[in-house]
Amino acid sequence: MSSQPEPVLRTRGLTVRYGGVTANDAVDLEVHRGQVVGLIGPNGAGKTTYVDAVTGFARSTGEVWLAGRRIDRLPAHRRRRAGLARTWQAGELFDDLSVAENLAVVAQGGGLRGLAADVFRRRADRSPRDPVLDDLELTDEAARRPDALSLGRQKLVGVARALAGESHVLLLDEPAAGLDTHESLAFGEEVRRMAGRGSGVLLIDHDMNLVLGTCDLIYVLDFGQVIACGTPDEVRHDPAVVAAYLGAEVAP
Amino acid sequence: MTVLEMRGVTAGYGSAAAVRDLDLTVAAGEVVALLGPNGAGKTTTLKTAIGLIRPRAGEVRALGRVVDRRVDRTTRHGVVLVPDTRAIFSGLSVRDNLRLAARRGGPRWDSALERLPRLAPLVDRRVGLLSGGEQQMLALAKALLCRPKVLLVDELSLGLAPVAVKELLPVVRGLADDLGVGVLLVEQHVDLALGVSDRGVVLHHGRTALEASAAELLADRDAVHRAYFGADERND
Amino acid sequence: MDQLVLFVSLGFTVGAVYAVIGSSLVAIHSATGVLNFAQGSVALWGVWVAAELGTTGTLVLPVGELQLTDGPATIPVTVALGVISSTVLALLLHLLVLRPLRAAPALSQVAASVGVMLLVASLVPLRFDVTTTVARPILADSSVTILGAEVAVANLVMLGLAVGVALLLAGYLRFTRWGTATRASAEDEVAVLLTGYSPDRLAAVVWLVTGAATGLIAVVGSPSIGLDPLAYTFYVLPGLAAALVARLRSVLVACAAGLAIGSFQSVLLLLSTYDFWPVWAQAGFGDTVPFLVVVVALFVNGKSLPERGGVVSGRMPAVHPPTMRALPALLTLAGVLAAILLTEGSWRFGVVTSVIMALIALSLVVLTGYLGQISLAAMAFAGTGGFLLSRVTTEWGIPFPLSLLVPALGATVLGVVVGIPALRIRGAHLAVVTLAGALAIQNFVFGNPALTPYEGNLIADPTLGGLDLGVREGTNLTTIRFAFMVVVVVGALTWLTARLLSGRTGRAFLAVRSNERAAAAAGINVAATKLLGFGISAFLAGVGGCLIGYSRGQLSVESFSILVGLALLCTVYVAGITSLTGALLAGLLAPLGVAETFLESSLGLGEYYNLIAALALVVTAVLNPVGITGSVRAAITHARSRRQQHVLAA
Repeated sequence: MSSQPEPVLRTRGLTVRYGGVTANDAVDLEVHRGQVVGLIGPNGAGKTTYVDAVTGFARSTGEVWLAGRRIDRLPAHRRRRAGLARTWQAGELFDDLSVAENLAVVAQGGGLRGLAADVFRRRADRSPRDPVLDDLELTDEAARRPDALSLGRQKLVGVARALAGESHVLLLDEPAAGLDTHESLAFGEEVRRMAGRGSGVLLIDHDMNLVLGTCDLIYVLDFGQVIACGTPDEVRHDPAVVAAYLGAEVAP
Repeated sequence: MTVLEMRGVTAGYGSAAAVRDLDLTVAAGEVVALLGPNGAGKTTTLKTAIGLIRPRAGEVRALGRVVDRRVDRTTRHGVVLVPDTRAIFSGLSVRDNLRLAARRGGPRWDSALERLPRLAPLVDRRVGLLSGGEQQMLALAKALLCRPKVLLVDELSLGLAPVAVKELLPVVRGLADDLGVGVLLVEQHVDLALGVSDRGVVLHHGRTALEASAAELLADRDAVHRAYFGADERND
Repeated sequence: MDQLVLFVSLGFTVGAVYAVIGSSLVAIHSATGVLNFAQGSVALWGVWVAAELGTTGTLVLPVGELQLTDGPATIPVTVALGVISSTVLALLLHLLVLRPLRAAPALSQVAASVGVMLLVASLVPLRFDVTTTVARPILADSSVTILGAEVAVANLVMLGLAVGVALLLAGYLRFTRWGTATRASAEDEVAVLLTGYSPDRLAAVVWLVTGAATGLIAVVGSPSIGLDPLAYTFYVLPGLAAALVARLRSVLVACAAGLAIGSFQSVLLLLSTYDFWPVWAQAGFGDTVPFLVVVVALFVNGKSLPERGGVVSGRMPAVHPPTMRALPALLTLAGVLAAILLTEGSWRFGVVTSVIMALIALSLVVLTGYLGQISLAAMAFAGTGGFLLSRVTTEWGIPFPLSLLVPALGATVLGVVVGIPALRIRGAHLAVVTLAGALAIQNFVFGNPALTPYEGNLIADPTLGGLDLGVREGTNLTTIRFAFMVVVVVGALTWLTARLLSGRTGRAFLAVRSNERAAAAAGINVAATKLLGFGISAFLAGVGGCLIGYSRGQLSVESFSILVGLALLCTVYVAGITSLTGALLAGLLAPLGVAETFLESSLGLGEYYNLIAALALVVTAVLNPVGITGSVRAAITHARSRRQQHVLAA
């Protein structure tokens, strides 16, 4: 055993191919408990594909380990139950359920057990309220439908849904897109708090203020490959990263 | 001569407007780079310019006509959009894609190959089998055949290596110089975009934050740099 | 050998109709992304217009008619006007119904085209004299000898026509610019717009051509196939099967598959005359062919079927889970009991039937409204329940409450089996499977003399602890004891279902309906949830079928015919498919329920029932997809907010 504790999320050689295109090329990445790790890169670099592959929504090869357990053969819903939560770029909320119910879906058991619970439950269980709503200051919106909220609040509900229930790792796919500067700052603090509770967080976002200001470690993806990995300061001054973003020539 | 004119345009999906009170003009033979961070409203501006999104306020005029919701007619009149999804058909061959775009009485479908000769050996291949750069080349070729007078280009560089973009952007410049096409170019590779543009417009939160000649913007790169990496340099 | 050749060629006539419908469905799907369930109805209308002209010289329009000639019109005139009628119907279908629904969810599109299907099917017997009209021969009555068999030239002409139509369509789609643009629009409509073409106009061309082709093949084939007020309507199923075999892409493959299905059905007829062929497979077996083809085609091709890009899909009507308040429930119950006590004879029978139909409607609300799975087979599940009830009561002697449970569990098993394809396919494709399955069950099980005796399936009256709960007593058509038993059973199941829908189960259903990906990401087992929904839905329908059985004393094919099922779907959709209240209201409006009794007894307009239901469905699907309950709710909400504004202003 090394002195470094085992990462809570680790991928080894994760590769995704669509037709002839390699969207993720042997991505090795580690997230430790209490850590906020950033994943950045230009549009089309394969960041969302990476999240899809890890969570079971894109066919991939390579290994995915969650808290010491190999999960790359599990279907998506079992990966979630194993403690791997994610948000979506487009929110993907359940528009027919209230905000509180959007969260309740996660915590509940479904299937025949849920059926039995419905038949024999008491009246009080019917409108469950997750404490996460209070943490994210969504209490007032609990009874409303997602499509009645502003885009920023919808994004926050998506994050709340990922936080509901137990999870080891949170994958946040562009959670701050659509937030204004103030909301974005507050959101950064929230992300730090999530990590403070002992989860590992992987943060994807275009808002460089948020990513550089929040993350402990940043991976940079371009054309499906990790081209850099380091602290915010290292990444910010890495010529390959600047080139990937601005398309400028890399100084020889 | 102004070929595209947007006056006080406010537009966007859902409750929040992505573009607010925008004024923008493009003259014939001019290339204008539309820059700004993600979510600044660049794509919405292009879609509104061709009528895919109806402005909530303000007016869009192209080639002297008010742009309405009949996108197919606007396209036939010569306002052509190359969207970030490229508007090519992956199930059809390159030849069929080009034939669709060729107009009756216009240039033949294979005339587009003169400006983009690298497509010539690929005409019988199914588009789904082309590389990203080749697909983008086809998207441009298809737009050429539509005989554009106004060309709107969204993120030519999406998923492409800078090298591939450097091959495509001069084609756009050539259209403006040789045929007098007015071009509105959305691009995330700032330096490359300004290299072929006459003017640059930087959008921020749906409004014009900065507008200057391409030479001036290239000289003051920090301004553009800040737009991408955030306004406050709190770590420096 | 010569027998085989003969029967294969005999199958060409009907196979040619399947083939052209299949080719048309592929082309229409390319152009619009819609699976048109009413393509068989396009054929049906043309056939009857032509036959009427050929018999009396009258051009029948949906409303009104023109006397063109004294006595029969000439063959060219009958064929031409038949084809034109089909073409106009197809264009109207495009312009008035499916084009306004282009961005609507699959449920609205399916509901609308099923509505048109039922509309035409119910219009034909009203507008045409279905007893005396005949289809005069159009093709020469001669034959040639092929491989030792006497093959009628007419069959070969049909084969040639079908292949010709398919070649023409394929040529248009492949070699012309508009055709290429049509194929391109299947991939991305916005991109087609940005290339300078109007997808609407491209679609109109396809509707026109396919409408004409479908009319032509049906009119020319009708003298051999025969006139039937219904059959052509369901030729859309083999057509859909052929189109799915062609993966909704190749017109030519669809044509070949259609011809093959026709010939195969014909060969099955030949086989059924041999001694080795089992008795149970002699009748209705041919109707299982399209179903089996559909299931296999969807399983093999499921993932590779084209899904349309470009236009944003509209939302399903919103759902408001039951609030489980006691007062409205008690008021409803009191209303129903009062209706039972205050009526007698056919009216009370109508009330009881409405209560039973509300239960079957509830099964649709659960499966389609809450879970978003489009099923056209609710009546087949009900029929399975009733069919098993007959066995359970007359042969196995199982006593009353259990006699409901056992058949309902049987229906549940069938429901879960039918639900398995739903794990791989969704939307309109699922509607195809369920409709094909329902037709197969109707003709192969309920209509099969080997499985269902001619006198119908007799059912013994229910008794509970010596108390006779039978529906009839002397001249009393519907006893109060029976009516109360129905109310207790339906009330209890409705209450249980409301508990499920307002709890975890309903939440999981709605999550799956809203967004399957996000549901999986929230830890929901999407596959298990869907199967659970199919199971619950089939259970409710199965109990409903048993109650129908008890209320009739015996069951036959007609009791659970597909038309009754589709009419019920109409009423549920019109009433509001996403709410419990909608199910109750649908019960009132349902076939043989209070509304039909009213039309029949009070207005003498019973024959218009299906027509009205179908028209209401089409109008609802196009103009008011939230249904009656949805718009009432919206009106109440609106009024409340206005009142609040007044209060604030005061």
